[in-house]
Amino acid sequence: MPTGMNRGGSRSTNSLPPDPVEIIRSKACSRRVKLNVGGLAHEVLWRTLDRLPRTRLGKLRDCNTHEALMESCDDYNLEENEYFFDRHPGAFTSILNFYRTGKLHMMEEMCALSFSQELDYWGIDEIYLESCCQARYHQKKEQMNEELKREAETMRDREGEEFDNTFCAVKRKKLWDLLEKPGSSVAAKILAIISILFIVLSTIALSLNTLPDLQDTDEFGQVTDNPQLAHVEAVCIAWFTMEYLLRFLSSPNKWKFFKGPLNVIDLLAILPYYVTIFLTESNKSVLQFQNVRRVVQIFRIMRILRILKLARHSTGLQSLGFTLRRSYNELGLLILFLAMGIMIFSSLVFFAEKDEDDTKFKSIPASFWWATITMTTVGYGDIYPKTLLGKIVGGLCCIAGVLVIALPIPIIVNNFSEFYKEQKRQEKAIKRREALERAKRNGSIVSMNMKDTFARSMELMDIVVEKNGENLDKSEKLRDNSLSPSKWKWGKRTASETSSNKSFETKYQEQSSPENVRNTNASPQHLNVQKLEEMYSKMAKTQSQPNINVDQMDQTFKVKKQNQMEMEQISVPSDPLLSTPDGIVDMRSLSSIDSFISCATEFPDPAKFTHSPAASVLNKAPVNPALERIQDQAPPALPPNNAPGRQVPPALDSNYYKNFLGISSINAGFLGGAGDKRGPSLSEIPEGPSRQGNPIKSRPLKVNFMEGDVQNTQAAALSAIVHPSAIVSKRITGPLDGPLHRERHLASIEASITCSTSGTKSPEDILPDVFTFHDDGVKKYIDADSDEDEQPPDGRNTPAGSLSLRYPHITNSDHPGQKEGIYRRDGNHLEEYLAASSAKHFGQNCLYNVESATRRTKRGGNQEGNKLDNHISPEIHVTSGESGCSTAYDDKI
Amino acid sequence: MGTEPRSPDSSETDASDDQELVVNIGGVRHVLYGYAVNRYPESRLAELMDCTDNEAISSLCDDYDKSKREFYFDRDPDSFKCVMELYYFGEIHIKKGICPICFKNELDFWKIDVDFLDECCKCLLGEKNDELEEIAQQVKLILADRGESADTCWGKTEKFLWKLMEKPDSSCPARVIAVLSFLFILISSVVMCMSTIPELQVMGEEGDLVEHPAMDSIETACIGWFTAEYILRLLSAPHKLKFALAFMNIIDVLAILPFYVSLILTTIGATLMELTNVQQAIQALRIMRIARIFKLARHSSGLQTLTYALKRSFKELGLLLMYLAIGIFVFAALGYTMEQSHPETLFKSIPQSFWWAIITMTTVGYGDIYPKTTLGKINAAISFLCGIIAIALPIHPIINNFVRYYNKQKVLETAAKHELELMELNAKDREAEDSRRQHIDIVITKTSNLSLNKSINTYSDAFTPLLAEEKLHRNRLQSCK
Repeated sequence: MPTGMNRGGSRSTNSLPPDPVEIIRSKACSRRVKLNVGGLAHEVLWRTLDRLPRTRLGKLRDCNTHEALMESCDDYNLEENEYFFDRHPGAFTSILNFYRTGKLHMMEEMCALSFSQELDYWGIDEIYLESCCQARYHQKKEQMNEELKREAETMRDREGEEFDNTFCAVKRKKLWDLLEKPGSSVAAKILAIISILFIVLSTIALSLNTLPDLQDTDEFGQVTDNPQLAHVEAVCIAWFTMEYLLRFLSSPNKWKFFKGPLNVIDLLAILPYYVTIFLTESNKSVLQFQNVRRVVQIFRIMRILRILKLARHSTGLQSLGFTLRRSYNELGLLILFLAMGIMIFSSLVFFAEKDEDDTKFKSIPASFWWATITMTTVGYGDIYPKTLLGKIVGGLCCIAGVLVIALPIPIIVNNFSEFYKEQKRQEKAIKRREALERAKRNGSIVSMNMKDTFARSMELMDIVVEKNGENLDKSEKLRDNSLSPSKWKWGKRTASETSSNKSFETKYQEQSSPENVRNTNASPQHLNVQKLEEMYSKMAKTQSQPNINVDQMDQTFKVKKQNQMEMEQISVPSDPLLSTPDGIVDMRSLSSIDSFISCATEFPDPAKFTHSPAASVLNKAPVNPALERIQDQAPPALPPNNAPGRQVPPALDSNYYKNFLGISSINAGFLGGAGDKRGPSLSEIPEGPSRQGNPIKSRPLKVNFMEGDVQNTQAAALSAIVHPSAIVSKRITGPLDGPLHRERHLASIEASITCSTSGTKSPEDILPDVFTFHDDGVKKYIDADSDEDEQPPDGRNTPAGSLSLRYPHITNSDHPGQKEGIYRRDGNHLEEYLAASSAKHFGQNCLYNVESATRRTKRGGNQEGNKLDNHISPEIHVTSGESGCSTAYDDKI
Repeated sequence: MGTEPRSPDSSETDASDDQELVVNIGGVRHVLYGYAVNRYPESRLAELMDCTDNEAISSLCDDYDKSKREFYFDRDPDSFKCVMELYYFGEIHIKKGICPICFKNELDFWKIDVDFLDECCKCLLGEKNDELEEIAQQVKLILADRGESADTCWGKTEKFLWKLMEKPDSSCPARVIAVLSFLFILISSVVMCMSTIPELQVMGEEGDLVEHPAMDSIETACIGWFTAEYILRLLSAPHKLKFALAFMNIIDVLAILPFYVSLILTTIGATLMELTNVQQAIQALRIMRIARIFKLARHSSGLQTLTYALKRSFKELGLLLMYLAIGIFVFAALGYTMEQSHPETLFKSIPQSFWWAIITMTTVGYGDIYPKTTLGKINAAISFLCGIIAIALPIHPIINNFVRYYNKQKVLETAAKHELELMELNAKDREAEDSRRQHIDIVITKTSNLSLNKSINTYSDAFTPLLAEEKLHRNRLQSCK
């Protein structure tokens, strides 16, 4: 980590964005610029970047305002003339070389997919890739796409088996599993084995039937089947028929089932028997006629098709079939080669041999046979050349045959082995996914592993979506792939996939514009993981200076208490919960918060999976409804905002999500940091959520971080507290979003818990705070660390008090909730959680804020300090207002 | 390796030898010592060492910090690390992961000869270069296909005909013609085979069997088509001689010629020589009809690949034949001597047992000649084991070649298309840049060296072989759009 970034970090504490003039000046003073990409510093001339003005780096030069700069890069430091991008450093080397030399090459060890993502991020079209590298790139990409598509197809097949719209759905599903999925249960396995045995038995019977010793003669003197074998045959056919019918009946999609190649084989294995019976029964009188007999014979031969039924039970046979289907090009080539060879050598040998007496090479077609047998080196010896010329031709024919047959075979073999390997891998992947799902349900998996699978499944879903709307997407894709300068304007157009997160952000910013207006003086600060990590490492180093902190805390708690009292007084009259219109408004605002939180807390989870560009598309899907809800409910929440007397609900509102968004973003950041994932994925995490609630929410965070810089121990506490609260917030989303999301959250809870425990070596005066919270919110997850609860310092009172406040509040607020309907109660439920977490949390937050404020002001008439103070003070009101609000509820109800 | 350290004899170099050269390559600082740098006086860094005036310095590097005496280069730091090895170790290795072509450009920038690359990395570069050359060739072909529009009326029709006959993908009628031609080849081959079936032959005037008249007429029609096709191709070909000497076209001629030669022989040959001789000549010519089967190669990329692969693996084919020949000779002789003891031996002579050896070694085994003594049987067993090995060993590289070309052919097509797109894009970009550059301060174009570099930069790497014809191509590209 370069030292320059430390100061860059301190820049973010100067809540004021630098003046455009300053930016321009800093840009003008040097010909070079430092680009820090994922920790790797590069130095480059401005004019080099100017060569591609429409790309991200090219635009960096034209960015003269803070906002524009922040849109282009993740962080910057004007004094050092350094710009930070939180991307993969390896890929950037090749990309920067593109600026320098105008030629885009790709590092050999780079994954094609990840490289394409990087290209998207930097706004460079993949078409610029040089010819020497593009083959590798496209091959990989196509291969990956194909694989994903195939996997998606199997997924869809599996998901397509819906039984809900018909009768006996459950039973049919069971039957279907029993017959079609031998791996699903023991009974199914036994059934499959019985089926295989029947196939083998019937084929053996079929061949035994032709033994002259076992055959009987019928009334016309013709040979017929042995009666015992006929019985065996009948039983086998009965079994096959039953199997087929049961399958057909239980299949979710009849037509698809009918079309399936394996089922066609099944049908072909059964049909000849019935056709034979039909023919013999209906034509008993004319059976002696040769024609009917011949037809019957043909159908009898068709019975041999049942051996193909084994394909259902063997992956190898299936992949053989698939290989032949896929490499029909090469097969055609093989046949063409052979045909040409046969033609040439048979005509040559014909001309060589035709003057011999009693030659067998009577014509060219007659010598085809010889050429075939020779070229395939079978050599029966029924025809062979006798003249010298003929023998020379024969010798050449042998060698040519060996060559010609050997040539295309490796390609087919390659296809086969590739496909076979893939199939094996796929089987394993499916098993792994199932295991993962199971583990997810049990909640026994750390989210680190889940990331991959989720990314994968999301990609798959994306492809499914893509397939569904194929026509539309294709055209779009074409546009995307072709050189489209418009794509470079990713900032606004958000055409590239990776920036879809961003589109979401900007959308959100529009929606939350009222808040924006209210807090115009607050700058949108950017929290980045690097800083977090720095902080984290620092606090790990210096863990032991609680003395000063305690003092300061005492002080600050007093201040806070005072504030709280004040706010209580204010909020009691201003928040008449029981008066219906206002109450509704209030509730609504709360529920809107809930939905907001649900979206916010949900966001880091998918954001973690944004490795793949595809995932981001899906990302949007769950988030959008929640957003819409906010949009719907934001207006009712806003009116009181304008009224001077009713500042509490909106304040609450902003307060809540300020808190939660920030927390969740930190949480995400920490999760990423803990997992040592410094790749491109990480950059998305803090960016997404933290920009969502942009101006308001980042403020408390910022303050906290500054605090963390100064007093590491408290930062440790913060990080520790952050995780449980994130857990709570995630749990809140549970009831809202249904079991599906909860699963996901549970898993990430695990991860965050591990994080928090790793960070709990912080001083004891803060720890208890954390763990009392644990007790309330996440009882399950308490670890051995909770022993440390024993020594509560002075400051303990306040949070404890607010905690105790929580309980009546919960019970009381439930009452009106019941009256007002389910929806509202839902809101209340959530609210109680919110109150729990935020009260706790704000105890902490507030503490830092006030403390920092006082410290800053003490430090002298520093302007920045003053400003900071200004920023913070409303927040303090807000927090205490929140707890006051809860007391208000208490009183009223 | 080609290290050419300069002997530090002159006093001037002694002075600069102690000097330290601080370079900043894209943000990474390196300190180089004068004696090391001066070993390669042609390189950019050595030139920089000798430079004294600012003008020269700024022409060599991108930026110069006087206070720190630091030279800044806007290049890839990773590649420079490899380049720097030259000054210390005298040879360069490409770091794994860096594209060789990309690295070559870096070497060009640092004015270091590619020969300094170590042998192991040079072959990497060579492979890539070959690949690019092939792509360039393909691009050239495509560009030639697109071609400029001719001015004259005849030129236009010539172009049109050429496209129609030679490029089945160019238009719908061209495809129809290709399919028709393919069908004619098939029909004529089938007819050629069928006409030899005795049941389908009719009695001629002199009591012998001759071809069925219907088949004869079909044959004539096919030949007529082939002739017309060939003539049209020849007429529309841009380079007549080159066309006539091309392999595929020689086959075409061979497919047509026998018919006309026999026609001439039957009409006027009778007067010149005896009838039996004429008939024998005609018989011989009929064999040449087989050549028409090779015409199929024109329509199958797989066959073309086969011929290409066979051509490329001539050595391996020779090896195969040599192994077989040695095996045949040894085992035939052995077989002959061992079978001598048997009274009813089938091995009458060594040349006769050659046939047996071939058939055994290729595991065909007709059974017309087979050993009867125990020793002979053992010999036969050994001979076909050796035969399998002798065939399998040299065939492997041939197959490898085939597979490689087969796979490459697929890739080449897309690569060429990509290259064309890239060229188009670059041409567009360059125009944009040209117009833009006028607005930007002159500093950029000040140094001739850099601007030269830049103008080259805008072409892709594969394009460099075509650089000479670049302007032409660009025009063509624009005309094609």
